[in-house]
Amino acid sequence: MSGATFGYLKALVIEDNVHMRTLLRSLLVALGMKQVYEAANGADALEILRDKRPDLILSDLSMKPMDGIAFTREVRLMEDSPNPYVPIIMVTGHTERHRVEAARDAGVTEFLAKPITAQNLFLRIAEIVERPRPYVRCENYFGPDRRRRAEENYTGPLRRHEDNGGETESI
Amino acid sequence: MSVRKIKAPKKPSKTILPSAYPQMTSAAAMGLLQALRNPQVCADAARIIADKAEDLRHAVLGHVSRMEQAARDFDLPAVFEQAHEIRGLAGNAGLAATGRIANGLCKYLDATQRAGVKPERSLVVLHLEAIARAARAEDEATRLGNTVANELAVLVDKKLAEINDSATG
Repeated sequence: MSGATFGYLKALVIEDNVHMRTLLRSLLVALGMKQVYEAANGADALEILRDKRPDLILSDLSMKPMDGIAFTREVRLMEDSPNPYVPIIMVTGHTERHRVEAARDAGVTEFLAKPITAQNLFLRIAEIVERPRPYVRCENYFGPDRRRRAEENYTGPLRRHEDNGGETESI
Repeated sequence: MSVRKIKAPKKPSKTILPSAYPQMTSAAAMGLLQALRNPQVCADAARIIADKAEDLRHAVLGHVSRMEQAARDFDLPAVFEQAHEIRGLAGNAGLAATGRIANGLCKYLDATQRAGVKPERSLVVLHLEAIARAARAEDEATRLGNTVANELAVLVDKKLAEINDSATG
């Protein structure tokens, strides 16, 4: 994580559409961020991630040759990841449930549906800053805890090891 | 003799609390939160989005032309790709009805592809024409644009239910 003050925070915008990329960049600059980097796809973004070590990432979902889901997976799981905990906001027009679930299971921190509004973008960033989520590492997942809150009336399947009497390790 | 498969016990999951992983400093977080809540910053950001609408509208029209070309070439993946770009941009271009119609087309094409069924040509053509007409209209946000978007959404929902039924039934 960079700098002691807000002015030194770094952001990375990954979006193949130049208009949307410019728009997202302008919004972060309006917020006061001075170091906003851009990439047109996940593969280019990995280079910037290694080189610049951003504090926040906004990523599109559909891109070539590497999309936002594959990029997120790489960030979270690759051995030499510069920061597997970096918050990733997925900015996407995809509304199909299976795509949203795939992004969540890759380790995305927040979703922002297009069309974007300043209010919605700022709410997602505030959520990351104010309520950072625990990360979970298990056999087939590493990323922000996908259980946002404990539902008292939850009746679905209990899939975690500790749900069935097993132990979990917290650090 | 039958061999009983024994399921390997699950490894316990490990929870890493926010205090245990690197985050921005509290001074940086405080500064960022102040900016996020500053009414002037919020107003500037909203103006930036509004100012970008005309550029985005041109971009949408470019994607509409490419989508029409893809349809003439019978290139369905390219039609989906362009419709997806349109739904992503249209809302911020002030073309809400166009975006909704493009979203319906994307949902339908995605569902047919996942179910391995051939998309109905008439439904695809109906969407293509409605997208093009709405995007090129002088005032897209007319009652007509919204009515077309609503009716096509009902049609898509019906087709998605049919696809779902045939997949589960």
